Amino acid sequence: MQMTMDELTVGQRGAVKAIHAPKQLKRRLMDMGFTKGVDIEVVKLAPMGDPIEVSVRGYNLCLRRAEARKIELR
Amino acid sequence: MQTIALIGNPNSGKTTLFNALTGTSAYVGNWPGVTVEKKEGMVGGHTILDLPGIYSLSPYSPEEKLSRRYILDEQPDLIIDVIDATNLERSLYLTTQLAELGRPLLLVLNMADLLEREGIKIDTKRLSQMTGSPVVTVSASKGTGIDELKEAIEHSLREKHAALCPLFSNFIERYISHIIEDDYLHAIPKGRQMRWAAIKLIEEDELFLSSMPPLPEAFDTYLTKVRAELVAHYDDDPEAIIIDQRYKVAEHIAKDCQIRKQKEKSFNFDSIATNRIAAIPLFVLIMGAVFYLSIGLVGGYTTPILENLFGYLGSQVFTLSETLGVHPLLSGILVDGIIAGVGAVLTFVPQLFVLFLLLSILEDCGYMARIAFIMDRMMRTLGLSGKSIIPLVIGTGCSVPAIMSSRTIEHQKQRELTVIVTPFIPCGAKMPVFALMLTYFFPGQWYIAPMIYLLGIVAVIVTGLLARAIDKHKETNAFILELPRYQLPTVRNVWLQTKERTLGFIQKAGTIILLSSVIIYLLSSYSFTFQAVDAEASMLAIMGRVIAPLFAPLGFGFWQASVALLTGIAAKETIVSTLSVTIGTANLGSFFTPDSALSYMTFILLSSPCIAAIGAMFKELGSKRKLLYALLWQTGFAYLSALLVRYMVLLLI
Repeated sequence: MQMTMDELTVGQRGAVKAIHAPKQLKRRLMDMGFTKGVDIEVVKLAPMGDPIEVSVRGYNLCLRRAEARKIELR
Repeated sequence: MQTIALIGNPNSGKTTLFNALTGTSAYVGNWPGVTVEKKEGMVGGHTILDLPGIYSLSPYSPEEKLSRRYILDEQPDLIIDVIDATNLERSLYLTTQLAELGRPLLLVLNMADLLEREGIKIDTKRLSQMTGSPVVTVSASKGTGIDELKEAIEHSLREKHAALCPLFSNFIERYISHIIEDDYLHAIPKGRQMRWAAIKLIEEDELFLSSMPPLPEAFDTYLTKVRAELVAHYDDDPEAIIIDQRYKVAEHIAKDCQIRKQKEKSFNFDSIATNRIAAIPLFVLIMGAVFYLSIGLVGGYTTPILENLFGYLGSQVFTLSETLGVHPLLSGILVDGIIAGVGAVLTFVPQLFVLFLLLSILEDCGYMARIAFIMDRMMRTLGLSGKSIIPLVIGTGCSVPAIMSSRTIEHQKQRELTVIVTPFIPCGAKMPVFALMLTYFFPGQWYIAPMIYLLGIVAVIVTGLLARAIDKHKETNAFILELPRYQLPTVRNVWLQTKERTLGFIQKAGTIILLSSVIIYLLSSYSFTFQAVDAEASMLAIMGRVIAPLFAPLGFGFWQASVALLTGIAAKETIVSTLSVTIGTANLGSFFTPDSALSYMTFILLSSPCIAAIGAMFKELGSKRKLLYALLWQTGFAYLSALLVRYMVLLLI
């Protein structure tokens, strides 16, 4: 069973396995540092549970659940 | 004279560095995407350009495209890569792309003052060896290291060493060298690097391919084969493989050059600011406090003082000119034109100063990006993005920078919708109109002022919902936003921004408002045959009466109100100065009634913004047709709302 980033709860960590997204979005996510094998941690959820704040490569960014769902973890 | 370009990730402090180098005070803030246009300055006799921040040379939003186009087409003599030293790895990812452009590269490690606090040590000598570019450590906000940087710039411009290209894994390098050997590569534009072009060919970069002659068939087949072999080997698409390789290089350099101590978890403001329950109430509270402090507290105190001061000044000048026997035309221009008109506007300087001060603190501390984060879900139901909230907050100061800041929204429809709704948020220049009306008609009724802001927000919501209902595609797009570190706003930055904006307001009072006050006075004192007449028979009255009937249903169908609205197109403060010249602030009651005063305010709140903001809208919307629709919507919506407000008030009272 594959796991995606949106399934993590606050404080949980994971490592990126693959990104399943259209070309543009995939490139954007990778440019921001989500490349294969990189460690990520979910830091926080926005007031309505969406978007989520993620720590990657030593900095924090936020993205929506819809995008997080496209990032497969291992 | 040579050209230098400042490039770097969003929010790495390029503009702060630009200001420190050139001694200017361009707009800075602490969220990704403050700079959306390129800015030019001079340093040591060279032209220096500040460009919008980018994460990579593959652009997504319009302002990123600007940066890419500039670096690729204009061939600057030196690229200064501004690096947030606390964010080395991701910054170096961009460096690996910049290095391939064949231009001299100078790495600037900015925010050096934060390194210690973050528990980071960077070996700059090693970094310089590994990247093959000189490295300078600065703190642009504290102003340290700037002289060393200026020396390094001169040095780099003299030496003109191209940067070292990052090397990928052998498996890919083999293909790159094969591709470079092909004759086709000689077709690349002058100044572009073969290696860079070869990588673009592997990636199948559309922007690059469209700038090149068509690929010969044999070469195209070869490239397809290369890509297939890469895909088979790495189990990913070619573009992703290259990004991955670049990050491997960045990781490798960062690992070798920096030591990061694990930070101790301490209390941070963010645990409240983005707390799931407290976040939104806190945001409302903060904005409320901003307006209460500026308009309520400071404004309530200074406005009457300044009003009396200008009134006294007017009467003194009047008596003085009487005794000196000055021509009544001249004393009229002075007293009833300039002092009444400009004075009415200048009265609001103290409270606007406080408003600008508080907004620039908000912008500088890192809270803006958090607002986008906490509000995204709500904004999405309106067909907007979390990023749309930033223009709306900035719009409480001035719509022009607010409209421009919408450019960081990647999705075109959301961006355009943000541009259209931003003017609904009352800017600082509309404040004098509301304050004038409220103090005259509703003294002590404090709850009306917040209702105006609320009405502006309602207009945003209605427009958003409507646009969403009409839009058949309902496509959603990505929302990816870096959340910058919180920082204590620097006194220097806050002061510069506040001073700049307040002076801008005062300058407008000294130019546009002054001129229009004189013109309005003359037009309202003379007939078409240039006879000094009563205001009712003046040129202005006759012109105003042409459009005045349009506003009769709204309760202000007299020419003074219409003329004031027209002059408001030049700048919204002009409405106040025009009313002061034509009616006199003390006589408002003989023209307006409470219901028409409210409908007048509603109309001003929502109708099309001033000419500067219309210009900004045109630039962002990019088409006359869209601009026309936007203005029609704003003005039509304003008209209906004003009508509704008036009849609701009439029914209730």
